[in-house]
Amino acid sequence: MIWLLLLGMALITFANRYLFFSAVITYSPGPKFKRFLSYSSYSVLTAIWAPIIFHFDGQREFQLAGFDYFLAAALAGILSFYRVASIVVVLLSTTLFFVIRFYLL
Amino acid sequence: MTQIRSQASACRTSNSSLTRRAILDTMPLSLAVIPWGVLTGALAIEAGFSAIQAQLMSLIVFAGAAQLSAITLLAAGSSFASIFASTVVISSRHLLYSITFRQHVEALPLRLRLVIGFLLTDEMFAVSQAHTMRSGNFSALFAIVSGATFYFCWNISTLLGIIAGEYFSDLDSMGLDFAIVATFIAMTFAELRNYPILVAVLMSGLTAVLLQPLLSDSYIVIAALVGMSCAYICPDPQAMAELKVSS
Repeated sequence: MIWLLLLGMALITFANRYLFFSAVITYSPGPKFKRFLSYSSYSVLTAIWAPIIFHFDGQREFQLAGFDYFLAAALAGILSFYRVASIVVVLLSTTLFFVIRFYLL
Repeated sequence: MTQIRSQASACRTSNSSLTRRAILDTMPLSLAVIPWGVLTGALAIEAGFSAIQAQLMSLIVFAGAAQLSAITLLAAGSSFASIFASTVVISSRHLLYSITFRQHVEALPLRLRLVIGFLLTDEMFAVSQAHTMRSGNFSALFAIVSGATFYFCWNISTLLGIIAGEYFSDLDSMGLDFAIVATFIAMTFAELRNYPILVAVLMSGLTAVLLQPLLSDSYIVIAALVGMSCAYICPDPQAMAELKVSS
């Protein structure tokens, strides 16, 4: 039975990924829809990382994952805003994160 | 002849530097996924999968969130129908990646389209999209190398979870998920001066944080669509200025 589950899931995930690459679909996005899509990576990536740092309990309380997360993310944000190279941003902020997490907290 | 040879060698160097860059760019995200891979492998065994089935799941489904949710649902006795429904909802955000990449991928030969489709994950999309913005061109080689790097790490960490899951119980508390935060911030914040992008980031982030406790399967794709819609309808100062000039 688990084999069936694996096969079904593999088909679903592949279909969602491949759908718009297939030649069967002839639709191509116009300039307006392309502009809409140009915001997709910024939106999706933020929707993935923001809830790692900020938690909402479903009622009224917001919580931080921790000051280590918050401060290191703030550093990453400031450096990136001033266009420091991505790899430097990742290295510096991750270093700050682990220093706070394992030495200061 | 010499010219052709030097062109070919230039092409080889640029291909190898592209490959190296793709692997390097994917590395932080590949490291961040290790705890999830280990957890997926270990939980699958606990839920009654054989070692081969647990590994095969990562090899053919290759979707972290969908796999973890399916294993949890199966262990709780849910029906296949509800597991498939949750898989559809969780992986629906890939439709967004697929349609965004369509313009670059549609002209490629079938086998490349199949490979890029199979390897299309959050991580590969993020890294390739950043590379496309930076270089001005989509590179199939870059996308495939980045996707394959991630595929390799995901499967190795699943294997680690299958054979030694019980030794890694505190991997969760190490905070490796911060690498996701750092990488994704590095990929988005440089463009925050662009007003619609600022709106996209603020609205999708806020929506995701608010919706996560309510809609744990679908909050990412809903928040992304909210962010994209707000960015699309907000007045773009740059476009308005161009409009004024042209009129």
